[in-house]
Amino acid sequence: MLEPQFESALAHRATPENLSISMREITERGMIDLRGLATDKKFMAAVKSVLGFDLPKAPRTSSTWGDLKALWLSPDQWLILCTRSKTAALLAELNSALGKIHSLAVDVSDMRSIIRLDGEGVRETLMKGSSLDLISDDYKAGTVRRMRFAEIAALLHVVEDNVIDLYVFRSYAEYSWAFLLKAARKGSEVKLFKK
Amino acid sequence: MSKNPYRLSNGGARIDRARKVTFSFDGKDVSGFAGDTLASAVLASGQKVFGRSFKYHRPRGLVGLGSEEMNALIGVGEGNKHEPNLRATQIEIFEGLSAESQNRWPSLKYDIGAINSKFSRFIPAGFYYKTFMWPKSFWKHVYEPFIRKAAGLGKAPEGRDPDTYEHMHIHADVIIVGGGIAGLAAAEAAASTGVKVLLCDENPVLGGIADLTAGMIDGECVVDYADAAALRLAALPNVHILTRTTVVGHYHHNYLMAFERVGDHDPAILASGAPKHRLWKIRANKVVVATGALERPIAFANNDRPNIILASAVRGMIGRYGVTPGSTGVVFTNNDDAYLTAFALKNAGVNVRVVDSRARADGALVKRAMADGIDVQLSSVISAVEGTLGVTAVKIAAYRKGQGRVITEKKVDCDFIAMSGGWNPALHIWCHNGGKIQFDDGLQSFRPKSHTDNIVAIGAANGTMSVEATLLEAQGLAKKAKKFKVEEPVRGALESLWFAPATGKYNEGNKHFIDFQNDVTAADLELAQREGYESIEHTKRYTTFGMATDQGKTSNLNGLGVLSEATGKTIPEIGVTTFRPPYTPYSFGSIAGALTGELFLPVRRTPIFKWHTDHGAVFEPVGQWRRSYTYPQASEDKHQAINREILCVRNKVGMLDASTLGKIEIKGPDAAEFLDRMYTNTFSTLKVGKCRYGLMMNELGFLTDDGVTVRLADDHFLMHTTSGGADRISAWLEEWLQTEWTQYKVFVTPVTEQWAQFAVAGPHARDVLSKLVPDFDISNEAFQHMSFKQGHLGGTPVRVFRISFSGELSYEVATPANFGQGLWNALMEAGDEFGLSAYGTEALHVLRAEKGYIVVGDESDGTVTPIDVGMEGMVSKKKADFIGKRSLEQSFLKSPNRKQLVGLLTEDPTEVLPDGAYAVAVVKDKPPMEMIGQVTSSYMSPTLGRSIAMALIQNGRARMGEVISFPLEGGKVMKATITDTVFYDKEGGRLHA
Repeated sequence: MLEPQFESALAHRATPENLSISMREITERGMIDLRGLATDKKFMAAVKSVLGFDLPKAPRTSSTWGDLKALWLSPDQWLILCTRSKTAALLAELNSALGKIHSLAVDVSDMRSIIRLDGEGVRETLMKGSSLDLISDDYKAGTVRRMRFAEIAALLHVVEDNVIDLYVFRSYAEYSWAFLLKAARKGSEVKLFKK
Repeated sequence: MSKNPYRLSNGGARIDRARKVTFSFDGKDVSGFAGDTLASAVLASGQKVFGRSFKYHRPRGLVGLGSEEMNALIGVGEGNKHEPNLRATQIEIFEGLSAESQNRWPSLKYDIGAINSKFSRFIPAGFYYKTFMWPKSFWKHVYEPFIRKAAGLGKAPEGRDPDTYEHMHIHADVIIVGGGIAGLAAAEAAASTGVKVLLCDENPVLGGIADLTAGMIDGECVVDYADAAALRLAALPNVHILTRTTVVGHYHHNYLMAFERVGDHDPAILASGAPKHRLWKIRANKVVVATGALERPIAFANNDRPNIILASAVRGMIGRYGVTPGSTGVVFTNNDDAYLTAFALKNAGVNVRVVDSRARADGALVKRAMADGIDVQLSSVISAVEGTLGVTAVKIAAYRKGQGRVITEKKVDCDFIAMSGGWNPALHIWCHNGGKIQFDDGLQSFRPKSHTDNIVAIGAANGTMSVEATLLEAQGLAKKAKKFKVEEPVRGALESLWFAPATGKYNEGNKHFIDFQNDVTAADLELAQREGYESIEHTKRYTTFGMATDQGKTSNLNGLGVLSEATGKTIPEIGVTTFRPPYTPYSFGSIAGALTGELFLPVRRTPIFKWHTDHGAVFEPVGQWRRSYTYPQASEDKHQAINREILCVRNKVGMLDASTLGKIEIKGPDAAEFLDRMYTNTFSTLKVGKCRYGLMMNELGFLTDDGVTVRLADDHFLMHTTSGGADRISAWLEEWLQTEWTQYKVFVTPVTEQWAQFAVAGPHARDVLSKLVPDFDISNEAFQHMSFKQGHLGGTPVRVFRISFSGELSYEVATPANFGQGLWNALMEAGDEFGLSAYGTEALHVLRAEKGYIVVGDESDGTVTPIDVGMEGMVSKKKADFIGKRSLEQSFLKSPNRKQLVGLLTEDPTEVLPDGAYAVAVVKDKPPMEMIGQVTSSYMSPTLGRSIAMALIQNGRARMGEVISFPLEGGKVMKATITDTVFYDKEGGRLHA
């Protein structure tokens, strides 16, 4: 019996050099797209019973519990993050807890590629391709934002002050990586307001 | 004689005399000092000619000091690093800089095009419109190449630009455009309230023309105040300063764009990895326009000769660079400000006299000049200039405003002229987004009036010429206004001077230039007026006045003045032309930013993209995707490769990367009913585990998408859409759920990218899958056509759909994208013994056409109904309602004469009809002919050994067997017989094999 061969979108890309920040693909993360009504108490309770915490209701926020995270995507959509190897089990648990409750949970672990940007200047690097004011106080740790980035759709998750995870659709991983290689090139750093 | 005869022995606040810099200009070495501009260094070397003019090829020299320069346009760099049309006054020199003048051949001194000048009376305004009208065919081959060669500015760079460029976004509470006295004071005032302030200035040094401005602020001279303010601002955490950055445009909602020349002035910066230019996209709550004012030239005879320079520029050359344009100068003015230039010249030991057009001039500066012993001639103008490559003498004539003729004149030797016709507020940024302006009699210029945006203009940009009033205006941005003690000379009034009368006959050898860059004279404007171009916008386009790269910075008002005097209308009655971005030209590189080369277009890659590339795939765009069109092998051309791939599927087995197919999960208690409304056919009756092909219409009844939908569970479906339609259809589903059928409990989640999906098609398809030991029953009985299984293939999790777009036994195998390449490899290996090979999208298209399967977008074009393509059977008659149902009831959609999809077989089986070819009712010698339809798909079928086509033909289904004609280009006519659309395996036995 053959084993499944795992190959992420950026697997063949070398570790980048000559950058002002560090950049790598995160492949060990599982993702579940969860749809349900935040106004449906049964739905919220069922999800909490599995995750151990309430789904975030406030726009552009996230919640964390251990190695589980829930990112708010829209009033009826969340992205649940977990360890990749535990995704199937978590999805099964969610589906069993949700039962007949109106909802849709889908394993989308391979749908997006995640690029971890780390270091001083990550926000400014992203601002070369985004009109968001990422250096403003709106983007503190935990913030989640769907955005237009360098002409494509992306999702941004502020992990720490200088650590940002950029989620792009898998088919655009190469494009995003190439853009970031250019934007984060050493010597092209931009510091805004002396930050 | 020294190498730089016009460099003064001392002075020059911007240069470092200890650091010599050598650069090349027109192939000659020129030396200057660090801090010099190309303009100052070349002028210091004694060279006065910087370029040849656009139309007449007249020799031209410097006029301005900064971005207003219109004559001295220079090309910098060589080959692929060349950048044309840069203003000499803004080019900072560095060791090794290579620059050249433009629009001259063979050299600046001897220019063959200058013959145009001799014939200038034959090149009046609108010359091109009048002359090159006939015959029409001459345009392309004779007139246009001639005009392109004769006119024009610099040349384009050769080859791809090796430098990098980028965009950057920034948000600020306040953006201050211009870092002169007004801008600096405003920045400090705004910053004191704690808000985020962005200060942009186009020059390398902040301060604007503080160094050329008379007066004292709190006991220090104006320039010292400015320098200190710049230092204070640089230390503030809430202030961001961008120098060498021109705000080129102001747009809706206080969005601005600014162009930063990051590395132009220092190759070391570029070498360190910085971009050459950066385009800033700025969003601000409030905009402060502190763009200052631009000095006006004066329209006098031959006012374009080299070394006729704006008074402020002469002052700047002396003060900043220690350079004088000559040894004997004439200051020609209608205002007090230019007297500062006379003082600067006198202090530098240069002989100077003043010619002032005003009868009364009694401001403090005029009095001081007279007291200092400077020769001041009031009520006088320059009536003639002698010299061609420079100035050798001027004639000075008596003048009284309103009395136009020259009666007496006196010749005076000199080698340069410093002119000043007053100052125009730089209104461009104010006006870009609809700011209103008003004429100011005191300034004899326009100034800001009102604006609908959160924007203010202050200082000279607002028409406020005094330092004290400027500082006061800037305090409007502070919570508490700061008080300044300002001493400055009291100015006398200026008197407008739009046209200085000349010696001799008007416009013969003594042109009064208004727009230097486009060679438009006062006579041209008057001619346009006489010819009936009454609107200023028409005059502008007819004469090209104000249309050059300087966008009329120095010419605009002078032109209006000339027209005012010619028509007897006031300047406000004549009006102004529209100010449009950009303020100064900015590079194409900066506009493109990083989005060049591989980033030019965001391209979507499937998980198998690299394999395709490694296996010689030729790609085609499908939406943003790149799909393999075909895989030519060593000696094959594309056509041979496609034929091989098709036959491989028909006879053995092929594999297609279908990952781009749109995939949408749809779940909820109302999911089935929802799908019944979205599709023309019924899905509520579909059994779990089964697949059904569906057609989707828009509200108009026209085909918009198709695909196979699978019932995963009672309340759970997986919809497939076309590759290009995936995003559009999921948005379409959401739109109906969110805006119309809000009662439905249905969730829709697009999952296209989660899955890699491959079609394994051909007689051996089952054999290939079997080799990977599926953990589900794959027998024909257990896994029938149009059904679905979930399990593992070779240990890899899969969803397998037995569906076919080729007419062969076919499975679409989907696996999570990151397992895609592994499964693809495993299938390739498993298929090896059966002759499996990859096929591309062109083979896919031929295969489906052989079977008469439609492609939405080929057989349909947005005006085609399911009935038109012969799928009436798929349009439910039972369902109460679905999108498009009512539209199909419209009489014209039921008309028998609608174009209907049919098959075509050409008379000559080796000929392929061109895609899109028109069928006509009757062939005539030449158009018009009555068209009865068009080819929608056309291929050479290797399976059938002949060409096949599909077409939409009027009333086509009733015309089976009829031969119709397709007249082609070149008089050829192809004939084809109308047939059924299914060319191969009409019974469909192969599907169920």
